[in-house]
Amino acid sequence: MNGKMNTKKSEMPVVERELWVENRLGIHARPAMKITNLALQFESDLVLEKDNVAVNARDLLAILTLDCPQGTRLVLRATGSDASEAALAVCQLFARKFGET
Amino acid sequence: MTEQNQYLQGIPASPGIVSGRAWVLSDRGEVKGRFRLLFTEEEQAREVDRFQTALDQAHEDLTRIHKEISEEFPEHAHLLELHLLILKDQMLCDEPLRLIREERLNAEWALDQAFEKIKELFRRIADPYIKGRLADVESVYRRLMGNLSGNEPLRSFDTPDPVIIVARDLSPAETTQMANSKVVGFVTERGGRTSHTAIMAQALEIPAVVGLDNATGEINSGDDIIVDGLMGRVILNPNAEVREKYRRRQVEFDAFKAEVARFCTFSAYTLDDHLTRIFANIELPEEVQLALKSGADGVGLYRTEFLYLRQRHLPTEDELYEDYKKVVEAMAPRQVTIRTLDIGGDKFLSNLEYPQEMNPALGLRAIRFSLKEREIFRIQLKAILRASVHGQVRVMFPLISSIQEMREARRLLIEVQEELRARGQDFDPRLAVGAMIEVPAAVTLAGLLAREADFFSIGTNDLIQYALAIDRGNKQVASLYEPLHPAVLRMIRQVVEAGRAAGIPVAVCGEMAGDPLYIPILLGLGVDELSMNHMSIPMVKKVIRLISYEEAKDMARQALDMATVEEINEFAAQEMNRRFPEIFRFGSALAGSF
Repeated sequence: MNGKMNTKKSEMPVVERELWVENRLGIHARPAMKITNLALQFESDLVLEKDNVAVNARDLLAILTLDCPQGTRLVLRATGSDASEAALAVCQLFARKFGET
Repeated sequence: MTEQNQYLQGIPASPGIVSGRAWVLSDRGEVKGRFRLLFTEEEQAREVDRFQTALDQAHEDLTRIHKEISEEFPEHAHLLELHLLILKDQMLCDEPLRLIREERLNAEWALDQAFEKIKELFRRIADPYIKGRLADVESVYRRLMGNLSGNEPLRSFDTPDPVIIVARDLSPAETTQMANSKVVGFVTERGGRTSHTAIMAQALEIPAVVGLDNATGEINSGDDIIVDGLMGRVILNPNAEVREKYRRRQVEFDAFKAEVARFCTFSAYTLDDHLTRIFANIELPEEVQLALKSGADGVGLYRTEFLYLRQRHLPTEDELYEDYKKVVEAMAPRQVTIRTLDIGGDKFLSNLEYPQEMNPALGLRAIRFSLKEREIFRIQLKAILRASVHGQVRVMFPLISSIQEMREARRLLIEVQEELRARGQDFDPRLAVGAMIEVPAAVTLAGLLAREADFFSIGTNDLIQYALAIDRGNKQVASLYEPLHPAVLRMIRQVVEAGRAAGIPVAVCGEMAGDPLYIPILLGLGVDELSMNHMSIPMVKKVIRLISYEEAKDMARQALDMATVEEINEFAAQEMNRRFPEIFRFGSALAGSF
């Protein structure tokens, strides 16, 4: 699924965070776009996992089809040189409810 | 698992058997039809390029529109941003590229497959709001498809592996393109025995089946198929057993074809030097080349309906003349026998008002129609006369049933000759005029008719139908259609005797004349000329060259002594099987199918 994974990356820092979808409408198009655009700014691979299904956070349709309504629990796994910065940014985006209510 | 051994029935258009991979072509603009497999790395590279170009173009267009959108419409801008992100999505961008490279799908097919997968993922989503975003994905998908169809390359038929082309219809340009490629068979939904596709396939000597309903729907690119051009059948996903059966039949047929092909260049002399002239039946001018290649001594039946049916308006004298001239010149110095229009008012052009007939076979058709629509007839006669200066031409009138009809038709011919003379146009003043013997009344009157005609041509298809009162197209009675019926054999004998007494040649130009099973008996009855589909010519020549006229006469005598058609059929089959087992095997199938 993730073409950027390689042996070199496996030696890189890995950061895992728990995320909750708190906005009313869940991860619909606009939040998904925000996640994708954010993920594109970092070098690290960002994977979102829900019930053992993992998707690339740069992959808009994959995030959408993960089907995350309000109250969904996700695990974020960032792998790469800027893993902690990336993880922090994504956590903040979720905490701000994607700028929605 | 796909179903094995699916038999699809069409119309045989070019004999032979071939198996291979299907390559489905369809009309432009229809998404499904543009799906096909890629066979070369160049093709794959080209499809990757096409897809990339479609992506780039979509990106450029969406970005431009996004910029042009006023800030007063943030919702619309948001939508475009969403579409731009979808455009970068792995599932919609990378997946098609993978399918092109790994699964050898063309760009359209790959894109469609990727979209199908996305659709499937969306189907599982419970949240209706998120589910609704599929509409945006679809919008991007459509934009990409549109871009792809804009840069679709011309079809190329150069493939490294042999393929069988499956299409709704093939244009002459397309079939010509295939001439030097790895195309080993054709299957089309449209067309008949004498369609361009059929003639082209015969010229290329590759098996073809036409008129196969929904072929492009039933068969997919990449499917394993067998084309049986003898029986007009296609076998989809054959299993090992069926494959082996057809492989053996193919080997046998190819050997048979190669064997009889040796006889093309010979004249049809019997062992005791009796010569029968072997003519070809043609419908389209293109068939002349096939007739010549098969070794035809001339054209014994040139059907002229095609020109009247292919266009909405009535053909002009010049149009007809040009077509006839082409055939006459190509065949010269061999004879060309042109049959005047053999068509019924009911299936004639829409601009002629004729009521639907209860029984068209007994209705206003052939010479009856021509004598009623005299202007149409006169135009055709003038065109035939003008073409006669370019070679050896004979004319014959179909469905003659009385002396009066023959005289009337000849009188009109003389009238138009005067007209041409007045115009200062050349024609052959000694143009031979024949009567087609297809109605039992004409058989009975053969002695009298022979005084009015320069030759006879027995159209056995109609003669058998009228003599036995059997409509071959009617499945209930089709099995009763018997060319060797004692009554039919007596009729042929009577016509031959009348012709001989008057010193005019007698030809047979029905399907019967191309079936080797009937050849010894027709020969023995004293028929002077046989006219048939070009494909039958080599094997008919072989039969004639390996039999003596005395033997044939003896066979005809024996057949005439038999009271039932069952006995005669049995006798003919036994003789054929004894003398020519390999022809017995394929000959009738070949003759009966074409």
